[in-house]
Amino acid sequence: MSELSTTLAAVPQAWFATPIGAIGLTLAAYFLGVRLFKLMRHPSWCPPVIIAALLIAAVIALLPIGIDDYNRGAAWLMLLLGPATVALAVPLYQQLGQIRALWKPIVLTLPLSATLAACYAVLIAWLLGAPPEVLASLAPKSVTSPIALSLTQELGGSTALLMGALMTTGITAIFGVEWLSRWMRIRDPRLIGLALGINGHALGTVRAFEISHQAGAFASLGMSLTGAFTAIVLPLVWHLWA
Amino acid sequence: MSVLRGFLWLLVFLLLGQAIVLWLPIALPAGVIGMLLLTLWFCQRGGMNADVVAVSQPLIAMLALLIMPGVVEIFFVAGRFADQAGAILTALLLGTLASVASSLWLMRRCLPPEPPHE
Repeated sequence: MSELSTTLAAVPQAWFATPIGAIGLTLAAYFLGVRLFKLMRHPSWCPPVIIAALLIAAVIALLPIGIDDYNRGAAWLMLLLGPATVALAVPLYQQLGQIRALWKPIVLTLPLSATLAACYAVLIAWLLGAPPEVLASLAPKSVTSPIALSLTQELGGSTALLMGALMTTGITAIFGVEWLSRWMRIRDPRLIGLALGINGHALGTVRAFEISHQAGAFASLGMSLTGAFTAIVLPLVWHLWA
Repeated sequence: MSVLRGFLWLLVFLLLGQAIVLWLPIALPAGVIGMLLLTLWFCQRGGMNADVVAVSQPLIAMLALLIMPGVVEIFFVAGRFADQAGAILTALLLGTLASVASSLWLMRRCLPPEPPHE
């Protein structure tokens, strides 16, 4: 009997010894998360990503494995983020005509919007007495995660806190865009897409693709331009101040 | 086969991006450079490559899945910043709502209204 239980206890370790366990868990949690999201009637404050992440965290806490075992396997899945980012060229190219017609207002408004996205949060946190490490982790919060991670390392922030800030920002931006655009009577998918991409990075862009292809393309544009602009300007401004 | 050929194209542009990033003075991710290069290539040949289109649809649909593992980690490190939680949450929630409001307002003022035929 005890032999059986020791063998059973070894099963999770065997699963997570190769990346297969982590990849299987991530996929299963994703589909379960999407199903629960539909059952909950599409709550905008709780996207499927968060439900799925909670499920994965629960499984890791219950099984005799650690977050490091999971991360080692999931890193294989996250490798696809690179090619997936390159693939965003397709919606970008499809909307190029629209974007070319609007390049002037976009160039005028985007740098200001991207600057404000970083400034508001840093200013509020600074007023509330947050230390520099926290400020450096919050500043790149509206930028897509690969850029934000390299930025926060350069500024001296915490990677884990930044990931948390990215997720909170993404969800708040999705909720905020939905709520404020209804309140301001904005229905233009280009505008909603841009606002989602500038403020809500990849999470906002994923949401924009659920609205329409056009909103998604403008969100990818907003996300990449905000990323590029912040990557250039933020380190310069930060080192001038500090 | 088309999907695999398209995937190879994506990898080629990602690798090009990784090479170019080495020459740039700022830390931009290779994926973003690859995306811009691929868009330029489409412009130059005057249309999209069918293989790339075939692989891009499932990959873009997977984006949410790909960022999930990063989200999981938060639940395991949240305790470290518990004493700053109030300031952090206020800054993130209020800051993001304010920036969404100002970008929507700015864009509405500066973007011409959409042509009615769409």
